[in-house]
Amino acid sequence: MIDQNKCETCPVHNTGNLKRLGINMDKFDFVVALSGNPNTGKSTVFNNLTGLKQHTGNWPGKTVTRAEGGFEFNKNRYKLIDLPGTYSLLSTSTDEEIARDFILFGQPDVTVVVVDATRLERNLNLVLQVLEITDRAIICLNLIDEAKRREIEIDDRALARDLGIPVIPTQARQGIGIPELLKSIEDVVTGKFICKPYRIAGSSKGLTKAVENLTEKVKNQFPGLPNARWVALRLLEGDQKIIDAIRSGEISGIVKRNSVEENIVAV
Amino acid sequence: MIDPLFALLIAFAFSGILAVLFWPAKGIYATYKKAKRNTSRVLIEDALKHLYDYEERTVKPTLRSIAGHLSVSSDDTIQLVEKLQSMGLVESNEDGIQLTPKGRSYALRIIRIHRLWERYLADETSVKESEWHLEAEEKEHNISTEEAETLAAQMGNPVFDPHGDPIPTKEGEIPKRKGMPLTILKNGEFGRIIHIEDEPHAIYIQLIAQGLYPGMQVKIINAEKNRIRFEVNGEECVLAPLFAANVNVTPIQKQDEITSDFKSLSSLRKGEKAVVVGISKACRGPQRRRLMDLGVVPGTLVIAELESIGRDPVAYNIKGATIAIRKKNADQIYIKEFSQEKLN
Amino acid sequence: MTAIQTNEREKLIASANTLRWEIGENIHDSIIETIYTEAAKIANKAVRVKEQKKKYSYDQAIDRIVTSKWLGFPIMFFLLAVVFWVTIEGANVPSGLIASLLVDTLHPILKNFIASVGIPNWINGVMIDGAYLAMAWVISVMLPPMAIFFPLFTLLEDFGYLPRVAFNMDNLYRKVGAHGKQALTMTMGFGCNAAGIIATRIIDSPRERIIAIITNNFSLCNGRWPTQILIATIFIGGAVPAYFAGLVSAAAVVGIALLGIIFSLVVSWGLSKTILKGEASAFSLELPPYRPPRILRTLYTSLIDRTIFVLWRAVVFAIPAGIVIWLVANITIGETSIAEHFTNWTDPFALIVGLNGVIFLAYIIAIPANEIVVPTVLMLTVLVAGIAGVGSGSGVMFELDSVADTSAILHAGGWTVLTGINLMLFSLLHNPCSTTIYTIYKETKSVKWTVISTILPVIMGFAVCFFVAQVWRLIAGS
Repeated sequence: MIDQNKCETCPVHNTGNLKRLGINMDKFDFVVALSGNPNTGKSTVFNNLTGLKQHTGNWPGKTVTRAEGGFEFNKNRYKLIDLPGTYSLLSTSTDEEIARDFILFGQPDVTVVVVDATRLERNLNLVLQVLEITDRAIICLNLIDEAKRREIEIDDRALARDLGIPVIPTQARQGIGIPELLKSIEDVVTGKFICKPYRIAGSSKGLTKAVENLTEKVKNQFPGLPNARWVALRLLEGDQKIIDAIRSGEISGIVKRNSVEENIVAV
Repeated sequence: MIDPLFALLIAFAFSGILAVLFWPAKGIYATYKKAKRNTSRVLIEDALKHLYDYEERTVKPTLRSIAGHLSVSSDDTIQLVEKLQSMGLVESNEDGIQLTPKGRSYALRIIRIHRLWERYLADETSVKESEWHLEAEEKEHNISTEEAETLAAQMGNPVFDPHGDPIPTKEGEIPKRKGMPLTILKNGEFGRIIHIEDEPHAIYIQLIAQGLYPGMQVKIINAEKNRIRFEVNGEECVLAPLFAANVNVTPIQKQDEITSDFKSLSSLRKGEKAVVVGISKACRGPQRRRLMDLGVVPGTLVIAELESIGRDPVAYNIKGATIAIRKKNADQIYIKEFSQEKLN
Repeated sequence: MTAIQTNEREKLIASANTLRWEIGENIHDSIIETIYTEAAKIANKAVRVKEQKKKYSYDQAIDRIVTSKWLGFPIMFFLLAVVFWVTIEGANVPSGLIASLLVDTLHPILKNFIASVGIPNWINGVMIDGAYLAMAWVISVMLPPMAIFFPLFTLLEDFGYLPRVAFNMDNLYRKVGAHGKQALTMTMGFGCNAAGIIATRIIDSPRERIIAIITNNFSLCNGRWPTQILIATIFIGGAVPAYFAGLVSAAAVVGIALLGIIFSLVVSWGLSKTILKGEASAFSLELPPYRPPRILRTLYTSLIDRTIFVLWRAVVFAIPAGIVIWLVANITIGETSIAEHFTNWTDPFALIVGLNGVIFLAYIIAIPANEIVVPTVLMLTVLVAGIAGVGSGSGVMFELDSVADTSAILHAGGWTVLTGINLMLFSLLHNPCSTTIYTIYKETKSVKWTVISTILPVIMGFAVCFFVAQVWRLIAGS
């Protein structure tokens, strides 16, 4: 078992199975969303996987629209969506809305959060928010070389354990770690690896009761919703998209998908 | 070829005329627009608001109070009330003038638009605080219900206006007003400001000049007959009871982290460190969210790193990223001295 | 969906609303605070920093210099000047080569070929002299400078310099009530205004974003550089001794670009005081760490992403313009062509503002692509002034090999130094090109703002040219 694992994570073995499809993505088996703070090398990861040459400017907010590309790995075809770089998913700015809506309603099979290893704490803000929305996520711990240069050491295994999702250290510029990332994407989308995402439990002061109260109501209305607490919080913030999704019942689409997924895993 | 001097004179004259016509706020066009404002629709809506306001405060409105509020003659007022009656918006009997359910829901709709617009001005624009109310007074008559709903959805359906007043829902629901005037609190008691009355305007201007906002916590130091001394956000404030009565508070039990002498982030010199205590309530809406998303939350260590020409903006190191913030915003971020133990 | 379900859902939404009234407004604050607390807890467990001393030395050292009080602005201007200088100098030779290939060599061949196949003359004229030549001009005038400018600019961008420019300039932008990131979009506009306008998406505040969109046109874009350079060389360089000419005309062009920045500040201020009233809102800008640019990669991506993309768009718009040019020069009403009718008709007014009818017509035709202004002006001048022996017939755009020849034609067409200066000013202050107008509409989704951003610069252009003309005449006449 261990030997086989070694073979599978061996870069030579894996890059051989990667076929960059550029913008050719007519048929695909899985959808992968790429999210992350600005300036974390998200576009570099995107280019690396798809073979596209999206411009990677060095100023915050450079990617103002979402880009799409495709790749094939171990006979599976993936569609990769590069979401705008954001610090958070809670505000009402356009780029954050695009990113948030895609992760929630676009229902990617996995969301890869590109994280700047030199500023882990700041980046975890976004990671935790993504984990509130979706179950299937991977951290791509990028710029690991820069972190080494600054003598920052990150225990990626402890991080993976704490967050309940895979954490893959990479240097996207040099292509280091990309094969492992691909493998991890495959494991998550095929259900080989089941994420147990860390969810924020308490909220401060007088809020807890209101949130619990509403979460219960959301659960009653939409049984099986994986992110009922998050939906409740969004309702308390008056998020129109969520209100509309509740009104139209679109929210329950998330429920269905998730249960189908669970069935596959069970079989 | 026209003589250049002559051409210049003509041009200056022409721009002069244009300026007289279109000068913002004072030009002929602007004056005309202002004059046109007092149409019957505006009068009807303002009258309904006035009636609703009195109803809420359980005061009986009179023809006189309406005339005073709208600044129209008493003859016009009588006509107006008759018109309202014929429209089925009010009814008058021996108890005086009252809103009908239809009139009340009309009034609430106007109030919703008014408060939404104030909220919009406060959160999304940089219009000065003292102008929010006056601009909303104009705007409330010119926005359609659909436009108002789009605006509300965009802003995340706010439920309070920037003065702390609840915004009625689309269906016309509104919670009962809680709280009490600041004058009722006794020495040593704590309260949270939930509302600052924006009328009369002159008093409101005075109150905001003192830096009072809904959400702030106050502690009464000394309440006397002709003046009330209290502490708010670490600063001492003195108000006459007439003014203090326009500040609504809800009493609170314990003191939520009000300590004295917070400095603002803008006082930090290049190379100095400090810990964030909070963001002033004056910084609202997307601006506040953006700052918090960037990591400006209580407990964050900040280091002033770069000063641009004129010391504005200054770039701070916040959780590993270098972030430039304008002085105006740095003024609204409170900090305290950095101490080593605090971090670990 | 059943009625009961709908009802239940509405109840859920309503109960959320009631709760919101109870819990007050601090919910967002406390959510973010909780998330950051948790993030810090998790990060502290996973991260070990060995040594804190040397942490950001390399980035900080650069930042200290490029944002310093005394060196910040000079470095900025120096870098921009270098980029422009390299663009101007480097584009000359390839531009000539492409022009001689597409215009001097290929054009006659095509024309003869089509004539020999027996296609009527007027179709030949429309297609080859009109459409083809316009395309050829756009390619030869635009491609080389863009192929140099965009990669250079992209290198600066990838390195991380642009946010520092915004940081330095913010003081000015704040004072005029604009957003600090407007400096970023301005610099993008030096490449292409349409690109600059798309970049305004990084500005959150709607008011300040509209200001940035309206004023982006004052960034002298790539399509206007050739006009500036040629006219400066002829009229300003020509007015000083030969050994100064190069330097003075380059300075004149940079001066116009600076004037553009000043105009953008003035107009931003004006808008903040009138139709877009308000004070500058929050400005928080991340200054990202410097990253060593990867030169080959940058060359490749900026060529594909930007140069070819912008060029393609320009060509698409230039082809119909070329057809129109040919038609107005060749369709006659009475004895004279439409072009001559128009120039004769507008000349009196145009002369008051120190321009002429030819320039007007050229600018109207060149709305789709500013690059063809100069060739169109030359063609029309020859046509209107009735100069014999140059050009290749009416409706055929051309440029001359030597600046001296061009200068001779323009002088024969009644041009003076004033015409030259005003053309440079008008080239800075006129409506944006059609691509940009379309982009503005797409970004603002508002006819009102599109019209304002289109008309405002034209009015300013006329006003400025008018005053310059009158003052010039007063001084020169006395």
